[in-house]
Order: sequence, then C-alpha cells, then structure tokens
Amino acid sequence: MTLHADVGLRLGGFHLDVELQVGRGEVLAVLGPNGSGKTTLLRTLAGLTPIDRGSIRLTDPAHGGIVLDDPEAGVFVPPEQRPVGVVFQQYLLFDHLTALDNVAFGLRARGVGRAEARRRAGEWLERVGLPDHAGSRPRALSGGQAQRVALARALAVEPRVLLLDEPLAALDVATRRQVRRDLRTHLAGFDGVRVLVTHDPVDAYALADRVAIVDSGRLVQCGTVAEITAHPRSRYVAELVGTNLVTGVVGADGLMTADGVMVSAVSDFVGAGFALVRPQSITLSRAQVDSSARNTFAGTVDDIDRIGDRVRVGVAGRLHLTAEITERALDTLALQLGDEVYAVVKATDIETYPA
Amino acid sequence: MSGQHTVDRSDVARSRRVGRERLPLPALLLAVVAATFFALPFLGLLLRAPWGSLLEVLGRPSVRTALWLSIRTSVTAALVAALFGVPLAWLLARIDFPGRGLVRALATLSMVLPPVVGGVALFASFGRRGVFGQYLDDWFGIRLPFTTTGVVVAQVFVAMPFLVLTVEAALRQIDHRVEDAARTLGAGRWYVFSRVTLPSIRPALIAGVVLAWARALGEFGATITFAGNFPGETQTLPLATYLTLETDPDEAIIIAMLLIAVSFVVLVGLRDRWLGGSREVAG
Repeated sequence: MTLHADVGLRLGGFHLDVELQVGRGEVLAVLGPNGSGKTTLLRTLAGLTPIDRGSIRLTDPAHGGIVLDDPEAGVFVPPEQRPVGVVFQQYLLFDHLTALDNVAFGLRARGVGRAEARRRAGEWLERVGLPDHAGSRPRALSGGQAQRVALARALAVEPRVLLLDEPLAALDVATRRQVRRDLRTHLAGFDGVRVLVTHDPVDAYALADRVAIVDSGRLVQCGTVAEITAHPRSRYVAELVGTNLVTGVVGADGLMTADGVMVSAVSDFVGAGFALVRPQSITLSRAQVDSSARNTFAGTVDDIDRIGDRVRVGVAGRLHLTAEITERALDTLALQLGDEVYAVVKATDIETYPA
Repeated sequence: MSGQHTVDRSDVARSRRVGRERLPLPALLLAVVAATFFALPFLGLLLRAPWGSLLEVLGRPSVRTALWLSIRTSVTAALVAALFGVPLAWLLARIDFPGRGLVRALATLSMVLPPVVGGVALFASFGRRGVFGQYLDDWFGIRLPFTTTGVVVAQVFVAMPFLVLTVEAALRQIDHRVEDAARTLGAGRWYVFSRVTLPSIRPALIAGVVLAWARALGEFGATITFAGNFPGETQTLPLATYLTLETDPDEAIIIAMLLIAVSFVVLVGLRDRWLGGSREVAG
C-alpha cells in the first residue's frame, strides 16, 4: 500500500504545492519552518481541508486503490470515512472523557458497543504502557502520557495511514528525549503508512526513514536522512542540517558564485552546481597565514554559538560561513563578536556536485 | 533566556501591585452609594414584610396557583429556548452567511426592547386577528393569546437571547481542532456535535439555560400584553405581585420575596457555575 499525494491548495495568499509518495511501513518526516504549510498538508491528507488541485490516493497491489480526494473527478472522502488516523499537535484529547473513553471514542463513533469498545481501548492503553491511567482525565496526564493516549486513540480504529503533527513540540526538553524514544518504538509497531510533521530536524532524523523538506508551501528536497545531510540542495536545507552551501558555476578549479567569489575545489564536472563546505573543515585564524590551503575568506565574527563542548562561529565576509571549532580553540583565539578573522579551507575538503 | 523570565516575573509583580492599589476616595464613595442603593430596597422589603402572615399567605390557593404556573411556564420556556437557541447559536458562531449580523441583531433585539413592546409585537403577529395568528387559528386551531402557551411564547421571546449569546460566545471559544480530531476518529457531524461540542460548552450551556429561566420567571410586560392576566391560566408570579399590590400589599410583598428568594438562589448557583467554567478555560 502506498500513499500518493499531489496536493495543490490556495489559502488566502498562500500556495501549497507538494507531491509525495509514502510506502507501507515507511516513516516520512515532513520537515519545515513554521508557516511552511506542513500542517496544512497534513490536514489535506486527513480530509480536514479539501485540496484545490491534484489528488490524494491510496494504492494497494492486492486490493486496487481508493481515491481520497480528487477535485477534478469530483471525489472527496470526508475525514470520518478515511482510513487515516491523526495524532494532533497538543494531542487534542477530549477533556470531558477519561483516557479510556478517549481511546474508545473512535470505536464508539463507528458503532462498536460500549463494553467491547472499552475492552479494546483497555488493550491499547496497555500497549502504550498506560494501563493504570484508564480512569485519568487528560488534564491529569503528563505531556508524554497524553501523547501516548493520543497515539492509542488514533490507532484504536486501525487506520492504514497514521499522521503525526509535531508530536514532540508540546513537550519540555527534559522529557522529550524519552518520549522520542518511546514514540519510535510505537511507530515501529504500526505497519501502515506513517507521515510525521515537524520543524525540528532532530525529531525528523530520529524518527523517519525519509525526510521531505517543505518551505513556503513547496517541496524543497526529499530523500533519506543520509542523502540530505550529504548533499543539501538549497541554503535552507544546508542550514537545517548545519552545513555551508555555496551555489554558483563549477569549473575545473572550483566554483564561482554569482557575486564573483571563487571557491577553490576539486571537481569532475562543469556547470551549475553546489560547493559543500563542512563547518568542521574550516580553520579560523587571526592573521592571514601562508599555507597549502587554497581558500582564505576574510570576514568578521557575527555569531558565536556554543553546542556542548564545540562552538559554531559565524563569519560574515563575501561569503557567509559557519565554522565549528572547539571551545579551547575559541579561548586560545579569544574571539569576540565583530573581530576580524580568516576562514581557511583546503580545496580537497570541499565537495562539489551538480545543481 | 533567564533575563526574559525576570522580566515576566516583575511584570506579574507590578500588575499585582496595581491590583492592590486603593480606589481614589470619590470613586470609593460612589461605589459605596451604588452598593447601598442595591441593598436598601431589599432591606425595606424585609422590614415591611408581614412575617406573621407569611405561611398563611404562601398557603393561599391564588399564590400557590401562580407559583406553580410560573415554575411550569418558565422551565418550559427555558427548555424550548435551549432546543431552538443552541442550533441558532451554532449557526451564528460557525456559519458565515450573508445577513449573519442582521440575524444576530434580530435574535438579541428582544433583550434590549421594552418587554411591553415585545408583547405588542407578538399580539400584532400571533394574536387571534394577527398577521400570522389568524392562520394558526383557522388552520391548526392554535390560539396563543390569553393561553398558558401564550405565556411560554412570550417568555421564550424575551429569554432566548440570553441563551443564544452565552452559547454563541462559548462556541466561539472552544478549540475547533478538538472537533477535527473527533472527525478523524470516524465521528460524523451529529456525533461530533452531541459528543464533543456540547460537552465542551456544558458550563456555558447550563449558564445560558439558567439565565433564560430566570428571565422567563421574571417576565411581566410581554406576558401581560400578549397573554393577559387570568388566574391559573396566564397569571404568573410577577403579574400576581403587581396586581395584589393594590388589593393586598402584604400578599404582594410576600410574593415579591418569594421571587427574590428563587432568583437569589439561582444567581448564587450560577456564579459558581460561571467561575467553574472560566477556571476550566483558563487551565
């Protein structure tokens, strides 16, 4: 079974235009900044927002397929009839019902008797590790527990597609790691199509097999985490994965930007392309040094960001580069915001690839 | 980050200090006068009340009949107002249709209208020779004026706006996405409305019904204009109070106290409901 979504939608001045395919047993993370349209995309898949153009289909080699939304053919399956379960941001549990009745809600709505629905809901609560909280009201649950109830509630009606909207955004930092690990286990136990929406690359990498990056309503790049990290194809994606990307025209000696900055690199092709400059391969120095390194970019320090024992230093010059150095190196150089520095990179450390 | 927190905390402290600040003296005096103004009539009533004949008056058939009629009609009116008012509130809160502002104004007009005017309007439309009333009589044999049903109609007319406004505000406040969640779980529109929407607005719904009931209980002007004043048929407690004031002031005062007692109990109960509701929203 595969979910094919070609979603075209106009909301006021906002255009959403994204095409995705997600296979059974696969976890796709839709990653993008706030306002990029990822939640809207999720709503179209759930049937909460009809699309204007394109189609949303579920295909199954064994049973044929079903069309969920196709404006041209005049087909629209309302949310209550779609085999799609949703775990919403902030979970949206029913406050007036106990955890057990929350999980039983979908079954009851589909006409399952009260006793049977509660029995099955109890099994689901056990599966997500909350058998003792059956009688708890949503307000009495912690964020992680509420998420598991929301997951059990969505899965209890046995959907074929599971959508999760920012499943970890409502949690504080302390519980996030644990909940992320639990969620990963529970996601692995569901063998349908799974689509997860998040603005946090860490969540996307930890939970998904494949990442679709959406920005301003458009699909920017799609691929496995390894592919995207190795070869980002836009400044936005490069920033997301924490690396430097320079666009321009690649020749035998390296890449020339539109502004005329030369980045020396080894390359085996000619034409429009990218140069990937890893922050770890940049050396910072106070004075211009004579060395074998072919690239030296002068600039001023515009950002100093500590991440654990390493420091990411932004250098603004004709190119903007982020260098990653150790804290001891920062102390030795005594770098401050606004200081003049030279960012030095060996040509052999820069990878080029076609646009 | 920690700097941000410090700012927040000092903001809270500042607003607390403002909250503790004393009212300027002239304003304080005016407020005391206002509170006294509300208290004095009740005090006067209590002091003038013929306590000795209290039980005797309450036991009179005329008083008991009026009390029973008031309770019957006001409860019916509150339930009818809820039956039609909740869907109307839902329509006003959720559906953006042309003329929505006009419909809302119409639905709440009788709240600001002098009740007597409402009664005259009802009489002109649903009276026996009224624009629509004659057909009700000719075709269905339904006569509203000067009947108990007419009392309920007059009460619904003035009381329903309170319910509509309260419920509409609550419907606007609740998180629609909770209803979305219910739909993705397989719930159709009616199931969502009855199992998710209504329970979510329960405090406001109760408040609206109680407000409408209290308004219906106190209804005078529209009732006497449209339904008249027949003991046992259309003479409710407020009408009885007014009319006995001339013949038997003692009875009037006791009936008035009965109405006050009922309203007071409801008001106290409502306050708790409302506070409970707002606390839930804030949490």
